[in-house]
Amino acid sequence: MNFVWNTLPWWGWLTLLAVPPLIFLLYFLKLRRSPVEVPSTWLWAKAIEDMHVNSLWQRLRKNLLMLLQILFALLLLATCLRPGCDGTDLAGQRYIFLIDNSASMSATDTPSGVSRLEYAKQEIRKAISQMQSDTSMMLISFSDQANVVQSYTRNKGEALIRLDSIGQTERSSDLNEALVAAAGLANPGRTSDKESSIDVQVAEALDAVLMIYSDGGVRKVPRFAPGKLSPEYHAVGSVDDPPTNVGIVAFSISEPAENGAAQVFARLQNSDDQSQSISVSLFVDNQLQDAEARIEIDAGQTKSVSFDLPSVLVSAETPVAVRLKIDQDDIYLQDNQAFSVLNPPGKSNVLVVSRDNPYFKFACSTELIRKQAKVDFQDWDYLTTEEYLEKSVLGDYDLAIFEGIVPDLMPRCNTLVLGALPKSDWKSVGENSPTPIFDFDSSHPLLTAVQMGSVTIINSDNLEGPKGSLSLIEASDGPIGVLAPREGYLDFVLGFSIVEISNDGDAVINSDWPKKLSFPIFVQNVIANLGGASRFTSDQNVKPGDLLKLKRNDGVERLEIETPDGRKELVESQKENSFQFSGTDRSGIYRVSNAETKQLQRLVPVNLLDATESNLTVRESLDLGYSEYKQISTRVPSRKEWWPWLLGAGLVLLMVEWLIYNRRVFI
Amino acid sequence: MSQTPLSQNTAAEQTLLSPQLLAKLEHMELISRKIFRGRMKGERKSRRRGQSVEFADFRNYVAGDDLRFIDWNMYARLDKLFLKLFLEEEDLHFYSLIDVSDSMKFGSPSKFEYAKQLAAALGYIGLCRTDRVKIEPLDGKRSTSAPVFRGRKNLWPMIQYLQGVASGGNVSLTEAVKSFCLRNSGKGIVVLITDLMDKQGYEEALKYLVAQEMDIYLIHVLSQEEIDPEIAGDLRLIDCEDQDVAEVSVSQRLLDRYRSTLAQFIGQARDFSSKRGIVYTMTSTERSVDRLVSRYLRQRGLVR
Repeated sequence: MNFVWNTLPWWGWLTLLAVPPLIFLLYFLKLRRSPVEVPSTWLWAKAIEDMHVNSLWQRLRKNLLMLLQILFALLLLATCLRPGCDGTDLAGQRYIFLIDNSASMSATDTPSGVSRLEYAKQEIRKAISQMQSDTSMMLISFSDQANVVQSYTRNKGEALIRLDSIGQTERSSDLNEALVAAAGLANPGRTSDKESSIDVQVAEALDAVLMIYSDGGVRKVPRFAPGKLSPEYHAVGSVDDPPTNVGIVAFSISEPAENGAAQVFARLQNSDDQSQSISVSLFVDNQLQDAEARIEIDAGQTKSVSFDLPSVLVSAETPVAVRLKIDQDDIYLQDNQAFSVLNPPGKSNVLVVSRDNPYFKFACSTELIRKQAKVDFQDWDYLTTEEYLEKSVLGDYDLAIFEGIVPDLMPRCNTLVLGALPKSDWKSVGENSPTPIFDFDSSHPLLTAVQMGSVTIINSDNLEGPKGSLSLIEASDGPIGVLAPREGYLDFVLGFSIVEISNDGDAVINSDWPKKLSFPIFVQNVIANLGGASRFTSDQNVKPGDLLKLKRNDGVERLEIETPDGRKELVESQKENSFQFSGTDRSGIYRVSNAETKQLQRLVPVNLLDATESNLTVRESLDLGYSEYKQISTRVPSRKEWWPWLLGAGLVLLMVEWLIYNRRVFI
Repeated sequence: MSQTPLSQNTAAEQTLLSPQLLAKLEHMELISRKIFRGRMKGERKSRRRGQSVEFADFRNYVAGDDLRFIDWNMYARLDKLFLKLFLEEEDLHFYSLIDVSDSMKFGSPSKFEYAKQLAAALGYIGLCRTDRVKIEPLDGKRSTSAPVFRGRKNLWPMIQYLQGVASGGNVSLTEAVKSFCLRNSGKGIVVLITDLMDKQGYEEALKYLVAQEMDIYLIHVLSQEEIDPEIAGDLRLIDCEDQDVAEVSVSQRLLDRYRSTLAQFIGQARDFSSKRGIVYTMTSTERSVDRLVSRYLRQRGLVR
């Protein structure tokens, strides 16, 4: 702890120290006595007789004003030393402040009742204001992404302004990116610019203190070596007493059952150390639909609730917003509501091009697929027609299935290709005959509930897809089922076909897959996932801050998206009728409508639904890579500054001096 | 034509002596603690035996005495010749000495004006009692001698004379008094009106007067600004007489010291005077002449 801090360079001190002698000199130089004629100086001379003996000291004794002025100057000098006490000494020359502004930081369990983020900002403001002038600092805010709010600076004022600009988000928290950015600036051989492969020396690698202000509710950081960073974890929030919070951590609407009714599922989590009793209400289009009272949730446990939605709602022609709300308010409001939608079923356009293969027709004849998709079966010759070219270029299809043939021009939609290779970037790297299936990724949506183990395949090619491809089905020598991206679409290529056409035009069965139960399920999965038919209920799970991707096939050029807080934004169509919207900062229902006709097209729910964020318990330590960092304190002790008091005393002194100057005879 | 001088007279009289004061003064009388020999017959008892109605003493007849004063009744009873002596009544010499140095110009009214008023008032008392009144400025000019006034009718000439007396001429008090003593050997009452602000000291001057065996009254006149100076700030004080300079930074401390010095100065003057039989009276210019004469000087026995 320093009692005083030097805030001036040596020349500043020289200048300031010259002031008191200057006052001293000026005081005697400025002494211009006004002449007054008196009857006789005799009595006066006698009166000041002894004062002549030691006139300088006599003058000093008399010159109260000068003494006051010198005292004032000394007080000002003292303020430049910034006297204070009870401060923590911020050793080190560089500080990197990581500020968590994820959703859980909006909880208001701080001593002053402000949000955790606001409290953290106050603490950082105090820390910055007590920094010495040669200390550089950097500010990084992080939620699920890091944002360098202020790169290294010594300008406290600028840093404080930037600190104020950090706002609350509704996102989850992930420390990884922020740590990478911080480490890149502190450690040599790394860079804070992850886009660039060249290590640009952004700042000279120096020891830096990494001050993390967070509630600790972050995902684990598996690999992180601090290097020259010394992390300090400042826990924000109530550490000793876990705050009371019950939140919705999962919310979904099931596929409609046979009778057309659907079910709403939700999971509630109690992060308190005491059991809680709550009630929830379900709203459909803001009308109370259902409610459940007195749900008892044990400490630290979760509980599921479900509601039935009648078929009338499910089969509605217009999109329906569904909202689940916990009736009791707590300190963290974001997880007290969850949103979902029931969009009206829309049929996707599917093109199937094959020759002498009736099995796709059989598989597509199920009622579910008929409800989801309009399937067009064509022969190979269709690919050369004008109609195909026009439709494929315009993006009329949502999914195209090609067996044994691939068009020269791939359509602007997702594709499933069997027994052929798309022209670009795909290679066959070997053949199997017969083909033993080694492995398949049953966790992938395309292969969910698809049992490939019993499928027999005679001839197949081992595939090598373009960059970024994902192998889903593996044979003994290599992948035979590969999913790869193509300009925003997905191509799922299987290295075998169901029906092979021999050189003389005969159709030969190559696999017994169509006879298995897994084939129609696979076709259903493909149409549901690649054909976009799964959008029936809740679309993709969009989290706050995610990019919202929309695809229209009705030729709409512009969409108007209304955010939950009523803001309307126009989104222009990008190529192939796709729309991208990045303004999903708030959770809630986003209303997508046609910009021209203002007709509501669909609703998109945005939910955080993050169990880590809903658990408001302030973690006592933070796991960073291989080390664990204990929380330092919930409150950063702040330096008590004395200099404002000294300055105030100086001003009072100045006023007293002025008073004396005006009434000096009556001292 | 005859009106003009009269009205002028009245105006001039009023500046020095108001009619009310004159009326008061008419009933007063200058008292000498000693009996002096006068020059002319006056209204005062004299040590000299002379012709009056008041019997004084007898003495033996010696040849040559005036036979008119022999007490024949005594000769009849005792058969010896005795001469009957009578008290002589004479006039009183009354001198007013006015300090005319530059330092007397200060104050409101100035000490000099005040001194002239006082001299006029005392002089008028003397005129009423047909005393010899002489008012002399202490300017050290030996050649000019001040006129002597006698009788009430000389009020106007006296006042006119006083109007003509100007201040100035920085002669030391001692020199001026010495000059006066040399020129006026007669006994009488001397009233010295001065501020005693003489750097060479006032003691010598008083000693000269004491040596003259006169009945001495010292009226020490100080202006209010000398008694309680109202000055502030850093000042260069300039002596009006010798241009001496004293630099002061006025503070309460200094003012206190000045006051104590002044008190000491007055105390010394009083002690010095009382040891030598001089009646000392300190007055401020703020005290009216009327009050000074009718009260303070009466207390001190100068007038009755």
